[in-house]
Amino acid sequence: MTTRRRLLGYGAAMAAVGAPTAQALAQAVSGQFAQSGLVGALQGPTQANTVPASFKEAPQLAELVKQGKLPPVAQRIPAEPMVLKPLESAGRYGGTWRRAFIGPSDGENGNRINASDKLLFWDYNGNKIVPSVAKGWEMSKDGKTTTLFLRKGMKWADGAPFTADDFVFWFEDLYSNKDIVPTPISDMTPDGKPGRVVKIDETTVQFQFDTPFYLFIDLLAGDTLIGGGQSVRQATSFTYGAYSPAHYLKQFLPKYSSEAEVTKRAKEAGFDTWVRALHVKKDWQLNPALPTIGPWRTVRPINTPTWAMERNPYYWAVDTDGNQLPYIDNIVMTLAEDLEVVNLRAMAGEFDEQERHISLAKLPVILENRERGKYDVHLDLAFNGADTVFLFNMSYKGDPEIAKWIQTTDFRRALSLSIDREQMNETFWLGLGTPGSIAPNESLPQSPGPEWRTKWSTYDPATANKMLDAIGLSKKDRDGYRLRTDNGQRLVIQIQAVNALLPWVQHSEMVSQFWRKVGIYADVKEMERNLNLQRIMGNDHHVAAWQNGGSELLYLFPRHTLPVDPTEPFLGPEICKWYASDGKQGTPPADANLLRALQLFRGAAGQQEDERNKTAQEIWRILVDNQYGIGICGQSPAAQGVRIVGRRLGNIPGRACIAQHCRTPGSSHPETWFYKA
Amino acid sequence: MIAFLLRRLALGVMTIWLISVLSFVIIQLPPGDFVDAYIAQLASSGSSVSAEEAQAMRLQYGLGQPFYVQYGKWISRVVVGDFGESMEWRRPVTQVIGDRLWLTLLLSLGALIVTWTLALPIGIYSAVRQYSVADYIFTLVGFIGIAVPNFLMALIIMYFAFKFFGASVGGLFSAEFAMAPWSWAKAWDLAKHLPLPAVILALGGTAQLIRIMRANLLDELRRPYVVTARAKGLSETRVILKYPVRAALNPFASNIAYLFPYLVSGSIIISIVLGLPTVGPLLVKSLVAQDMFLAGTIVLLLGVLTVVGTFISDLVLMWVDPRLRHQMD
Repeated sequence: MTTRRRLLGYGAAMAAVGAPTAQALAQAVSGQFAQSGLVGALQGPTQANTVPASFKEAPQLAELVKQGKLPPVAQRIPAEPMVLKPLESAGRYGGTWRRAFIGPSDGENGNRINASDKLLFWDYNGNKIVPSVAKGWEMSKDGKTTTLFLRKGMKWADGAPFTADDFVFWFEDLYSNKDIVPTPISDMTPDGKPGRVVKIDETTVQFQFDTPFYLFIDLLAGDTLIGGGQSVRQATSFTYGAYSPAHYLKQFLPKYSSEAEVTKRAKEAGFDTWVRALHVKKDWQLNPALPTIGPWRTVRPINTPTWAMERNPYYWAVDTDGNQLPYIDNIVMTLAEDLEVVNLRAMAGEFDEQERHISLAKLPVILENRERGKYDVHLDLAFNGADTVFLFNMSYKGDPEIAKWIQTTDFRRALSLSIDREQMNETFWLGLGTPGSIAPNESLPQSPGPEWRTKWSTYDPATANKMLDAIGLSKKDRDGYRLRTDNGQRLVIQIQAVNALLPWVQHSEMVSQFWRKVGIYADVKEMERNLNLQRIMGNDHHVAAWQNGGSELLYLFPRHTLPVDPTEPFLGPEICKWYASDGKQGTPPADANLLRALQLFRGAAGQQEDERNKTAQEIWRILVDNQYGIGICGQSPAAQGVRIVGRRLGNIPGRACIAQHCRTPGSSHPETWFYKA
Repeated sequence: MIAFLLRRLALGVMTIWLISVLSFVIIQLPPGDFVDAYIAQLASSGSSVSAEEAQAMRLQYGLGQPFYVQYGKWISRVVVGDFGESMEWRRPVTQVIGDRLWLTLLLSLGALIVTWTLALPIGIYSAVRQYSVADYIFTLVGFIGIAVPNFLMALIIMYFAFKFFGASVGGLFSAEFAMAPWSWAKAWDLAKHLPLPAVILALGGTAQLIRIMRANLLDELRRPYVVTARAKGLSETRVILKYPVRAALNPFASNIAYLFPYLVSGSIIISIVLGLPTVGPLLVKSLVAQDMFLAGTIVLLLGVLTVVGTFISDLVLMWVDPRLRHQMD
């Protein structure tokens, strides 16, 4: 119990003395992290080609087989299983993985653990697409047809065969039914033309499009609506992923009985309509009876205080020794509605593995309690350019004078040059981040090159002042702040921020101080997160603070980098509407370079990989050169990169790939983790 | 008398209806709807919702409809006991609240018992032994208890509980019992976890109650009837307990009105700090998420409890105070 006592002591002490001491502490320890060994080598399990001669199973399943409740393991595993070579060694079976979740909206927490139910996936270092549910794929030369090859003999968790029919069922009965999916998804409609899903034979499925769609393979592997499987975005109750258990879900569809019949049954179960009932019944987080194919399946749903899962006896992956995965029997996630409670319990050693909801700012205390909580800490660095980006509203109209300056390229560049990113890195990232622009890590194929990490993103207040003078903001008031050109009042720029993934309000406060030093009076408005988004959608913000996680693969998650998605329109809601509606609504960007970036982006889906990556580099050069978003610091463990791992666990990578498309910790394949004792 | 009761009853129903309208309006006041709040929440934790999903969700929950249509649909079902589905929890509202209601009541009742068993004797003692050393000590502790906010007290007591007793970090169950079906072992586990939050919850109220009891009793002790009782030679204990204490308790009867909603909502902040699965955090979260049916139902529940509590306290007052009865007649 000393553990908790000590850690509470720290908590109270930190709270009592406030931020300056916390900052000092952070600066004092930041030097240690570089040599701490906490950032390991990028590692993970790999896929092997040879199928083991025989299969073995968990003792609990062997017992069920003996009782006649389950067919023998050889009949449960497909003829061509996915063979994973574990990171260190074959594991032992057993154990319960204790973890935290923060409520029914935290479905991604479990999705990511079960992410191998995706059709295609990425390998552990996040730069190569590998088979997953589909054992292989083929794209036609013209890019219009993608064929997926399924695993022969693969089964759902209830033992029913998993075949091409489940894809056709998804496409025809779910996706194409306007009651269930009102709007077609862009992943299935390149250039606005809807695609089709066609069964070739039992284990072969084809996606057919009318225009070249070379990006489709990446979409299938990425964190996208089509690439889902059952465990993506389920939190909204809308499965878009390309397959569904036909044999189970047919009973909830009017087509297979009658509208009156399914409605009656829905009402009996307490739902308003059959559509609501269906959305709950086909959600693996909510319905334990739903057949799935991920390594674990829900036994206690997410909308209870304990979200619990047990192993899928029909899971279709084995290790190189022929042991059916997963090794760990159960996952029990306990509800902690407060993030502080999650972090406290993690430090008390109450979770076996937890990277989600662990806060970078608590790292010093987390490290202090390693021995008492019996855990190791791994810091996983991200690949995206910036954990904090200041995004300009490029369609702002509320105040013509402000809009004019936001639209002025040198104004944005000057503001970027006025920020001391090193100081921000030391203060907020404990020195663990890489200061620079929004461009991704230079090792990635879409990176425009290392020089673009620093372009307009160094600390040069003298140049910034000169640039601001040159564009016509040379007049200042008594306090040294630059004046508006229309009425001679002080020019006030508002930064809108929330405290979410990082304490962006505090980041904004520091940035506003830097901007004031070059004479731009910046004002920070702290927002409740919903109001923040409402104001952004309402075209009310000047500058908003956010991050650009996921942009390391630009085409798969562009919403925080380019104004293309009206649900999070930081860079200009009018432009997002214009882009998403193909010009029918909204207004095009006034900035010619931004317009060009959007045109390049739209054209890229039909380009082959090499050409597409070149286009991405071109887009990045435009974005960095024009500073629509000012990157501060990135490639850090800030987002799900502080990983607390109990010392009993084996096959744990020293460093995991944390990225949107890697479905952290999915690409580390948690089904290969095990309890050593 | 009957007419009075009927009038109060009719007024109570009207009040509850007004509360239901008001709560629905207030929940809708912030800009946006549940889907917007949902997108914002997911975005803050690094997940995302596509435009296609957002539109589909709005259609499904009927969020595009005008306010009065949504309210009409909801209230017409509430009348027959169907409180709708919580959009965030995707379960019927009654189930979501039901899960937590018993633990909430248990916690609040526990706190109430602690409050009364501590406050009344101490209050009486402080009044009878006014300006004694013990009275000064209780007064000092009492003022500190009133002045220190509940949640801060929770943090401090948690710290000392760990230091000296090794009590667990928050929650009402140990990890191994959280999943288990109800059993004696689980009940015992709950019994071990309950006292700490109950005591923390009770402390502020205790301090306040001590002060009230002391002041009330001091007023009564100076009355001539006390002198008369003493003059007649009654024992000191009997004099104090039988007459002035009873009179001093009267104001507590009128407090019943606040007691009822307190049972459900009194533990909000404590529950958030200590991570307890009670109704309090549910209410806060549902308001933030604009989960209208869940938030509306909890607010309605609190309203009903207040109205019922007021009604009962009226009855109790009439029963204990003859003067009120005379007014009625």
